[in-house]
Amino acid sequence: MITGSALLSRAAPLLACIGLLAIWQIAALILNTDSFPTALEAIRAVPSILGDKESLINILASLRRMAIGFSVAVALAIPLGLMMGRNRYVASFFNPLLMITYPVPKAALMPIIMLWLGVGDIAKMLVIFLGVSLPVIYHSFQGARAVEEKMLWSGAAMGLSAAQRMIRIVLPAALPEILTGCRTGLVLALITMVTSEMIARQSGAGNILFNALDMGQYDTVYAMIIIIGAMGIGLDAAFEKLRSRLVRWSEPGFDIPLSFA
Amino acid sequence: MNLRSVITDVLLGIVPIALAIALWQAISSFGYAPVTLLPPPGMVFQRLAQQLLTSSFQHAVAATLFRLFAGFSIAVVVGVAVGLAAAASPAINAVVRPIVRVLAPLPKVALYPALLLLLGFGHESKITLVAADALFPILLSTYYGASMVEQKLIWSAMAAGTPRHQIWFKVVLPAAVPSILTGCRIGLVISCIVVFLAEMITSTEGLGHLLVTAARTFQAVDMFVPLITISLLGLILNGLLQAVRSYLLRGFPEV
Repeated sequence: MITGSALLSRAAPLLACIGLLAIWQIAALILNTDSFPTALEAIRAVPSILGDKESLINILASLRRMAIGFSVAVALAIPLGLMMGRNRYVASFFNPLLMITYPVPKAALMPIIMLWLGVGDIAKMLVIFLGVSLPVIYHSFQGARAVEEKMLWSGAAMGLSAAQRMIRIVLPAALPEILTGCRTGLVLALITMVTSEMIARQSGAGNILFNALDMGQYDTVYAMIIIIGAMGIGLDAAFEKLRSRLVRWSEPGFDIPLSFA
Repeated sequence: MNLRSVITDVLLGIVPIALAIALWQAISSFGYAPVTLLPPPGMVFQRLAQQLLTSSFQHAVAATLFRLFAGFSIAVVVGVAVGLAAAASPAINAVVRPIVRVLAPLPKVALYPALLLLLGFGHESKITLVAADALFPILLSTYYGASMVEQKLIWSAMAAGTPRHQIWFKVVLPAAVPSILTGCRIGLVISCIVVFLAEMITSTEGLGHLLVTAARTFQAVDMFVPLITISLLGLILNGLLQAVRSYLLRGFPEV
C-alpha cells in the first residue's frame, strides 16, 4: 500500500501532464477552429521540428546562449548577494538600484541593447544575464543575512579570516536560499531567451515560434509551445534533483519555483 | 534603527544611481556615443515630463495599468482561493499540487501565441497572460502561509467555540496574510514585467507598444521614456502595496 501511494505521488506530475493535454484535446474538439489544433496534432508536429536540421540548430543555439548567460549571472550574482547580506553598507549601496531595476522587463531592454551591440549573440546573452542576476542576488542576500551570528563568531574565534568565513560558513549556510534563487533564475532565463529572440527575429526557438504565428502555421506554433514548455519543466526537474542532492540536510522550503517573467 | 543610520542608508543608496546617471551623462557629453544611440539623461527626463502631460501618453499608461490591475486582481482572487483550498483539503491538494508542479516552471510567455489565437489581440489575451504569470507565486505563498499556521491557534479557536467552517476565515486566513502579501509583492513585479512584454509583442496601445514604435523608427529618446515609466510605476505600486501591508499587519509583532 505504501509503495502504491509512493508510486502514485511520483507519477502525479506525469498524470497532471496527461490530464492537461486531455483537457486541451477536448477543448480543441469542441471549439473546432483552424487556429486551435488538437493536442494530438500538435504533438505530431513536434518530431518534424526536432528532425529538421535547421530548427534543431536554432534551438540548440538558444540553449547555448541561455546556458552562458545563466552561468555568468550566477557566478557574479552570488558573491555580490552574499556580500550584501553580510555588510550593511554594501546592502544599502546596492538595494535602491536593484529596487529601481526590478520592475523593468529585461527583455524590453532588447531594442536599446540591439542599437548598441547589434542583433547577435552578445545582446541576447546580456539580456539573459540581466534577467537572471536579480533574483539570484536577492535570494543570496536573504540567505546570507539569515546566517546565525554565533557561527561567524565561533569561526572568527577559531582564526578564520573574513574571506574564509565567507566561503566556509556563509556560503554553505546560505546555499538552500541561493539555490532557490538559481531555480527562479533558470525559469527566468528560459523566458527571457524566448522573448529576446522574439524581439530580435534572427535565430532561436522564440524566432521559430513567432514566425510560425505570423505565417499562420498553427501546428508549428503549438508544437513549439510544447517544446519550450517541456524544456522549462525538464530543466526545472533536473535542477531540483541537483538541489536536493546538494542541500539534503536542509528542510525543503518552497519545493516549486516562483517563476518570474 | 536610528535617524542617523537611516540617513547614511539613503545617502549610500543614492550614490550608485547618481553615479550611473553621471556616467550616462559623461558618455554622451564627451561624445563617446552619438545622441541617436544614447541620448543624454537631461533630454530623456525632459521628454518624459513633456510626454506625461500629453493625453496620448496618459492613454497608454491607463491602458497598461488597466491590464495590469485586471490580471493581477484575477491572480490574487484565484491564487488565494485555490491556495487556501489546497491547504484545507488533502483531496484538493492531491489534485492541485501536481498541476502546479507542471505549470509553474512553464514559461508562460510561450503560451502567449496560443492566447492570441484564442482570445484575440485585445485586452483579454494580455490580461490572461498577466493573471497566469502572477498566479503561481500568490498561490504558492498562500498555500505555504496557510499550512504553516500554528495548530495551537486552531485548537484555541475551536475550544472557544468557533465553528469548523469559520476557522478558515477567522484564524487561518488572517494568520496567512503576511505570507500572502509577500506573494502579492512578487506577483505585482511580475505583472509589471509581463504586461509590458505582452504589449511589446502585439498591441495597438500601452507602454510596451510605445517602446516598439520608438524602436522601429529608431527614436532612442522615446525608447527610454516607456522604460523609465514602467520602472516608476513599479516603484509606486510597490509603495502602495507596502502601505496596504503595514495597514493590514498593524496587529502583527513584526512587519
